[in-house]
Amino acid sequence: MSAEEIQQEYEILEKSKKDSNAFGLLYEKYFDRIFTYIFRQTDDEDLAADLSSQTFLNVLKNLAKYEFRGLPFSAWLYKIASNEVKKHYRKGKGVKVFSIEEERVRQLIDEAHEDWSEELINRLLTYLKELPTEMLEVLELRFFEDKDFKEIAFILDITESGAKMRTYRALDRLRKNFNLKIKYDGKE
Amino acid sequence: MGRNEIRMRRYRMSAGNISRHRNYSALMDQHEKNQRLRRVMRVFMYFLIISFIVIILVIVVRWEKKQKNKSTGKPNPTSINSIKPVTFS
Repeated sequence: MSAEEIQQEYEILEKSKKDSNAFGLLYEKYFDRIFTYIFRQTDDEDLAADLSSQTFLNVLKNLAKYEFRGLPFSAWLYKIASNEVKKHYRKGKGVKVFSIEEERVRQLIDEAHEDWSEELINRLLTYLKELPTEMLEVLELRFFEDKDFKEIAFILDITESGAKMRTYRALDRLRKNFNLKIKYDGKE
Repeated sequence: MGRNEIRMRRYRMSAGNISRHRNYSALMDQHEKNQRLRRVMRVFMYFLIISFIVIILVIVVRWEKKQKNKSTGKPNPTSINSIKPVTFS
């Protein structure tokens, strides 16, 4: 996201603080992404819709407290969405679900120059099941939402080095178990 | 049993599917309702706080008055104990 876009969003947010109707532009822009992010962690369309609405309601409620910290507004949105999902599971509503898109997994495997096979996928799913939730959250934001480590750290309320460490450890295990070469920061 | 449930989805949520759940006017209605409720709650809380302060103030003023009357020896007309018994000689 360019500095100009971040600035534009900031201006909309400043306007929204005085008139909440101005927030509509940002709602239209981010609803789909937030919905998909929540849906991936619930695999329930209605629940994802409820939690998305709750996320945006919380944003509107706390808009006056929003401070620009050099990160795009979307990072704040993801943080609130992530907290809503955590709140939902804290109420004891089942085991946490990660419903990942096959299409994206195929893409990642292709990038790692590996051949797609049912056996590989089954092993990968077993491996992911055994990963701690914190690692899965980081991997999801990194490889399914394309967030950088600074944003991931902000969203999950951890340090940037903590986010890098979690990703590194998860990928290191992946390399050892599968001989997959998924890039650590996705940019190399 | 793993720590989390991992599911592989063959389909991706389409924009059309997601747009069924996108409703800005409903969100604004809910937001305004919440704001009104918050305002009412805030007014009620202020009312409670002010009432509490007034009650405390009344208690303190009465107590002070009582203490003052005690120290000047003036009978307290409100207290039955302060009325001297009538003696006939």
